[in-house]
Amino acid sequence: MSKRSKKSDRWVGQSMIRVDGDGKVRGRTQYLNDIPYKGVWQGVVVRTPVAHGILKAVTLDPAFDWSQVVVATAEDIPGENIVHMHDRTMPLLAAVGGEIKYRGEPVAVVAAPTLALAQEAARHITVTADELPALLTLPEAIKIYKSAPKKFDTMQSKRIVKGDVAKGFALADEIITGEYWAGHQEQLYLENQGVVVFPQQDGSIWAEGSLQCPYFPVHELNDALRLPPEKIRVRQTPVGGAFGGKEEYPTMLIGYAALPALKSGKPVKITYERNEDILFTPKRHPVWVRYKTGVKKDGTFTAIECDFVIDGGAYLTISDVVMFRGILHCALAYRCENVIVRGEVARTHSFPSGAFRGFGAPQAVWGMESHLDVVAARLGKKPDELRLQLHARPGDITPTGQVLSSENGSTACLQLALKRSDFARKLKESSRGRLKRGQQKLRGIGMSFFGHGAAFTGDGEANFKAKGRVELALLEDGQPGVNIRVSSVEMGQGVHTVLTQIVADAMQIGPERIRYPMADTGLVPNSGPTVASRTTMVVGNVVHRAAGDLKAQLEAFAAEKFFKGKACELRTGKFVVKGTRAIPFAKVAQAMLTECQNISGKFEFLLPPEIQWDQGTFVGDAYPGYSWGVNIAEVEVDALTCEVAVKRVAAVFDIGTVINPVSASGQVEGGLTQALGYTIMEKLGTGKDGLYDATRLQTYIIPTILDVPEFDVSFVEYPYSFAPPGAKGLGEIPMDGLAPAIANAIAAATGRRINQIPITPEVIYQALHADSKGTP
Amino acid sequence: MSNVQRTWTINGKQTKLRFPPGRRLLDILRDDLGLTGSKESCGEGECGACTVLVNKEPVVSCILPAGQLVNGTDILTIEGIEKKRIGRVIQQAFLECGAVQCGFCIPGMVVAAYALLIKNPKPSVRAIREALAGNLCRCTGYTKIIQAVKLAATRMPQRK
Repeated sequence: MSKRSKKSDRWVGQSMIRVDGDGKVRGRTQYLNDIPYKGVWQGVVVRTPVAHGILKAVTLDPAFDWSQVVVATAEDIPGENIVHMHDRTMPLLAAVGGEIKYRGEPVAVVAAPTLALAQEAARHITVTADELPALLTLPEAIKIYKSAPKKFDTMQSKRIVKGDVAKGFALADEIITGEYWAGHQEQLYLENQGVVVFPQQDGSIWAEGSLQCPYFPVHELNDALRLPPEKIRVRQTPVGGAFGGKEEYPTMLIGYAALPALKSGKPVKITYERNEDILFTPKRHPVWVRYKTGVKKDGTFTAIECDFVIDGGAYLTISDVVMFRGILHCALAYRCENVIVRGEVARTHSFPSGAFRGFGAPQAVWGMESHLDVVAARLGKKPDELRLQLHARPGDITPTGQVLSSENGSTACLQLALKRSDFARKLKESSRGRLKRGQQKLRGIGMSFFGHGAAFTGDGEANFKAKGRVELALLEDGQPGVNIRVSSVEMGQGVHTVLTQIVADAMQIGPERIRYPMADTGLVPNSGPTVASRTTMVVGNVVHRAAGDLKAQLEAFAAEKFFKGKACELRTGKFVVKGTRAIPFAKVAQAMLTECQNISGKFEFLLPPEIQWDQGTFVGDAYPGYSWGVNIAEVEVDALTCEVAVKRVAAVFDIGTVINPVSASGQVEGGLTQALGYTIMEKLGTGKDGLYDATRLQTYIIPTILDVPEFDVSFVEYPYSFAPPGAKGLGEIPMDGLAPAIANAIAAATGRRINQIPITPEVIYQALHADSKGTP
Repeated sequence: MSNVQRTWTINGKQTKLRFPPGRRLLDILRDDLGLTGSKESCGEGECGACTVLVNKEPVVSCILPAGQLVNGTDILTIEGIEKKRIGRVIQQAFLECGAVQCGFCIPGMVVAAYALLIKNPKPSVRAIREALAGNLCRCTGYTKIIQAVKLAATRMPQRK
């Protein structure tokens, strides 16, 4: 099945071939649209024509034959018209007489036996509204934030305070400020969003779909559908990419499909095509971040003051936690006694922003790491030397008062990345806006340094108690093996493979006897959503412990039944007692399955009691553990066309124990490539009509195979020892830091500081030809 | 418009079909023949998830009106690739190199790699990049896909 090096009898640390790979390379994996459902109706969503207004009427054309079609509006919602995400403000459908808060807000769902008929029917529904003035963009909101703060409409505020910034600024030799902007980003999973809802005879629903968090709809649609959690069952289908885009949004889709399904008794499927998926699903939050930093001549920070404002769109959904993660990363990476960070979630009349890999951290790191180079330039210091001097390391205290343990490899990341990239020499050779004779391209190198909090914020994991089970079962070949039962979803990141490796080691059986069925809330305990770089660290530990529990049960059974009460050990597929003949796993497991029922190992995740967190004041241990990273980018800027080519990226990460090196470097290369798009290609705004201004793959440009640089990826391992096998977060951190590294490289190449992404050729042209010089 | 009739060779098998001439090749493959290995993602020929070989040339089947394809056209999809030795070599290389994540782009990617290697069994990295430039992947950052095609090239049957 897979390669394992001769040297080790452990699967953890080996590049085992992914367990879901074979079906994928052969085109046999059935994603939602590949499953031949019979008798399923197709649903189409009807939307508001204005970004802000009062919904006057939803009118069905009397000339159309509605007999083969079912139409659900807000009046058909069985319960209260509310979707329960992080607050209880967002309706499932806009209701007549109610306020429309964003363009494209759903008002009705049409379902019919064929998609063509449903689309035709949807065209015979007229939505009328009284339009009101709309605030569509973050720059408009920031204008108010700066000029009339009392009028600024925020959905959530939060402060982090450490020391006294006034005192800090008084001690400073220089005060350096900077403002940094970033735009929307589309997740652009290749498989569009889709779900199917099957109404059941007892009034409950069963939903299947491409989603990351099977338990979210179970707990978010109860009020609207008037169904308790046990009457909403959700099963994942293979997920063709998600990146956060299938975190909170599938709840809405299931809610939409459930309405005509419950009304008609027919199963209803809604799948978006690409245009609709780009226009009407959540994006990465645009950000405005302002730093004011007090520095001594020797480079030390005396104070960091930061404002971090994200565009939440029309409803809060999950934006509070995106902002929390953002502000927790705004001043995480550097030593400073006096810090204040203010976070806000601006309300605009745009589509609610949502989860996207990094979840606020890339926006924070974009600001901080751009600003650090500005500070270095002002002080006449080298960016690498300043980072080596100031970076957070074991023993340091974070802005929330957390003492960094020895399990933080921040220094090792910096040292290795600088060495591997030959940074100092290449920085010296950077063009600084001057072409040498014979050169056509400006060359530059730039870096970024950052941490990423792994798992839920603060004591979130302690409160949540992720649950998992490893159960003994007969596999499809009739022989015994185990099933991993957790709600964590395979979406390409490799969780089915890495958790299989972890269980193989903990159980001491081969991975070929381990299965990881698709998450189904009817069958799996809640190990939590597949988010927050938490799965390998937290759920990996849960299955490690659960497998250990099951192994102990098997050993006790074997001792009693096969070894006359002598304690035995399950080791590499055999039960052994010194001096007796070993008995294979299959024999004992078969006997136990015959004699006992429901044999499984279980575990609930714990945090060490010393983890203390105050959610009100944001003081304490913000995350159970931190991953660290350094990105170093080398760029060429065409002096004539202003095109940027990123030629090489050296990336070093401390993600704790590396479970599967090939899979891990694949996560890094993929995340860096998304970050490359975010930085120089992927441009998306809210147009005057309230719709996104890039709506398809011809206008929303993501990196192709021609755009990717050479990647030099390395890991340093500082394991999280509390949760064996010691992984920390990996999924998001590759997205965090490349944007500022590229911007810093462009500054080294052109001599111009660019403080907004994406950095398109137009932006560079303007910077190069502006009358006043930017800050290099 | 009335239906047209065509006889094509699909994955080595003669197949007789009737369809409206404007019907997309992808819909015929997926909906009429149940060959769901070819995926639809963008629907406008930008992403390559629906790539199939038509007379050994890679095409995006989501924007190809099938009436354009004459009798005798040879069509190879991901379902037919694994019956070819080179196809299996490519699939194995993708697995070994970790070139697969979510998998949604992979059938199109494997078909495009096959189209390259049957013509150019020892491609340069530049040639690999150019051959796969029409296939978007959002997961892998392409690096391991390039490695996989390079590895497959080292295992190509020798021509004599």
